[in-house]
Amino acid sequence: MSTTQGTHSLAFRVMRLCRPSFHVEAPLRVDASDLIVGEDIFDDPIAASRLPPLIDAHVTKLTDTSDLTYRTRFLLQHPSDSFGLTGLLVLPQAFGAIYLGETFCSYISINNSSNFEVRDVTIKAEIQTERQRILLLDTSKSPVESIRAGGRYDFIVEHDVKELGAHTLVCTAVYNDGDGDRKYLPQFFKFIVANPLSVRTKVRVVKETTYLEACIENHTKTNLYMDQVEFEPAQHWSANIVKADEHKSEKDSLSREIFKPPVLIRSGGGIHNYLYQLRSSSNGSAQSNILGKLQITWRTNLGEPGRLQTQQILGTPVTHKEIELCVMEVPSVINLDKPFSVHLNLKNHTERELGPFEVWLSQNDSLDEKAVMINGLQTMELPQLKAFGANDFHLNLIATKLGVQKITGITVFDKSEKKTHVPLPDLEIFVDLD
Amino acid sequence: MDTDTLLQHEAVSQSADPLSNQFGSLNDLAHELASLQDLANRGSWRSILDKVARARSHSLLNTPHDHLTYLAYNVLALAKLRRFKDALTELDSVDDFDSHHYRYETYPKIYPTRCGSMVPFSLRWLHALIPIKLGNRQEGLDRFYILLDFVRGKLKEKQDYDVSIKMWKKREVFVMNGIISEHLKNKEFGVCLDLIKDLVSRGNLDPVLLSKLGHIQMQIGDLEGAKGSFDKVEKLLKERNAGGDDELLSEVEFRNQVNRNKALVYLVGKDYVSAVREYEECIERDPMDVVAINNKALCLMYLRDLSDSIKVLENSLERVPTVALNETLVVNLCSMYELAYVNHSDIKRTLSNWIARVAPDDFDSSSTRI
Repeated sequence: MSTTQGTHSLAFRVMRLCRPSFHVEAPLRVDASDLIVGEDIFDDPIAASRLPPLIDAHVTKLTDTSDLTYRTRFLLQHPSDSFGLTGLLVLPQAFGAIYLGETFCSYISINNSSNFEVRDVTIKAEIQTERQRILLLDTSKSPVESIRAGGRYDFIVEHDVKELGAHTLVCTAVYNDGDGDRKYLPQFFKFIVANPLSVRTKVRVVKETTYLEACIENHTKTNLYMDQVEFEPAQHWSANIVKADEHKSEKDSLSREIFKPPVLIRSGGGIHNYLYQLRSSSNGSAQSNILGKLQITWRTNLGEPGRLQTQQILGTPVTHKEIELCVMEVPSVINLDKPFSVHLNLKNHTERELGPFEVWLSQNDSLDEKAVMINGLQTMELPQLKAFGANDFHLNLIATKLGVQKITGITVFDKSEKKTHVPLPDLEIFVDLD
Repeated sequence: MDTDTLLQHEAVSQSADPLSNQFGSLNDLAHELASLQDLANRGSWRSILDKVARARSHSLLNTPHDHLTYLAYNVLALAKLRRFKDALTELDSVDDFDSHHYRYETYPKIYPTRCGSMVPFSLRWLHALIPIKLGNRQEGLDRFYILLDFVRGKLKEKQDYDVSIKMWKKREVFVMNGIISEHLKNKEFGVCLDLIKDLVSRGNLDPVLLSKLGHIQMQIGDLEGAKGSFDKVEKLLKERNAGGDDELLSEVEFRNQVNRNKALVYLVGKDYVSAVREYEECIERDPMDVVAINNKALCLMYLRDLSDSIKVLENSLERVPTVALNETLVVNLCSMYELAYVNHSDIKRTLSNWIARVAPDDFDSSSTRI
């Protein structure tokens, strides 16, 4: 089988077939009245009545194919003719950039430019990347019987781009040429796939709710219309998107009817932010901090779609509270060296029995005496709590210093599981003189 | 135009006889205007430059408005031939559009019953457009926005003049379209959508404008929005048939617009077969609907039928050259030739030669990419 590049009867012609675009050009067309008379002439009543019919008589619409003038390139026939978009579509004029998540589509034509028929043509088209070789077309099971001199065989291939970096479209043809020799024609068309966008996320926990902020940045050369940006929560999570209220001026009913403003991210570095509210739907032991992932669908030119998914997004490690300690009541007046009682509630958030417990104020390392101490037995015993149960109790305390002081280090120790919990942040009190 | 020349012309007073018909023919409006208009219709812009030069050197222009009309044709011709620097020089000879030199009342002997500006409005428009064509986009856009203010000022002034108001309203749309086109060219889609919103809210429920809005929405990828706009256009068509009246758009044009909109929706959904069907309906109704012809050819190509797509375009050039011969169609045809033929330079040369024989002076032959 001859592989000389010398003389091949066949040759591949390839054209990227992304979507066409509208031709945009401010036309150099005028209204006849704006050219042949002065702008204020119609203030003259005689002109106002005589001129329009005169002009109409000489500016008739082009309805006759025998009218061999190019007046449609010169005169406006409808007010919208001066709007630089006629609806004429243009084929893609350059290969352009290809991005991850898009679909690569190409018209491939194999031409026989020789003077002889070629027979038994087996055609193959593949995409070769760093990692793999993907077959797009293979006619070896039913080869093309013949391509006449000057003839063509066309096909269109599509490939969803899922890898970055160098790609090669490899087109090969094996055929019998005019002399009966079996020839092999390989042709290679290279392109690079780049990343169209980057996603930066921030996770914040506010009380019971986790907020996910996602910032999408557009690295492409065209504007991206964000068709859908959806957060798919992981198991045990639910999500809903948080949107800003509409600006008052956008509530104009007529224009609302016409269209709602699209989310369009400017090319070359434009960004858009999304905010999601996530709720954990289980109180159970699921300790996973995987929140979920973002599914992003965008559209460019004439709706050309692209789709990407982020990696799993991680939240801050969630430590599910097993027990919760709440301050129910602190006396409004606390006097120096006078005992006072703080009403507390201990809740069990788990499905199992917890406890019994011991409660104390932990000693810190400082040499200073603590400002607030337990008055009486330094350790308090609390009974077991059943699943999701709660228990009220009172801590008897005494303050030894004046002014703003802190009740710190309330520690709850689970005697059976041998677990220490420090479930309360510092509590501020004001200690007054008697 | 200097003051001396103008004073001379004032002395040569035209007949102020109210019975003489000043509006009998185009030539009554300006010296040999019919010939200028005819040349422009045929795209013979070089001949227009010659004619203007000759008229000036032979002192054939007798009134101030003759000079201004010829100036306007000259600037337009230079712009058409893409000689923008020369167009700018020519425009600069008009120092100030609002000068009294260009007002009817300055020459009561020539224009006894008239007052106001005799500047052809297209000169103001070209004054804004040419800087953009020369690459000075900011200057041009500023002038466009100032021009828009000027037009809106005139609209307030001319409340009592019915025909004038109509003209100035047309000019307002004309200038706004020019601004939108420029922003569109620069892909400033947000601004375009706002400006169109503005046009629509000024009571312009023009089906063609709404269709163009749909096109823009489609271009940026907002397919839902585009469908919404196109649905509105279809609704307007039904209302029209039910007894509305649109003097600006004929029935055929309206129906074709709706069909073309539908075709786009199919095209975007990759249903090229249905898109072709819609375009064929358009062509059947109006054989000169070049947008339908061109777009149908593209759909055929996306259907892997390169041969037929080429045939459709070649056929249109043969059948209706004066509408089909446009740069976009030629660009598409040449792209198809490059794909279909290994030795495509031959066939492109044939096309190019034919164009050279048939095309108007302003045709941009770089579209053949030879």
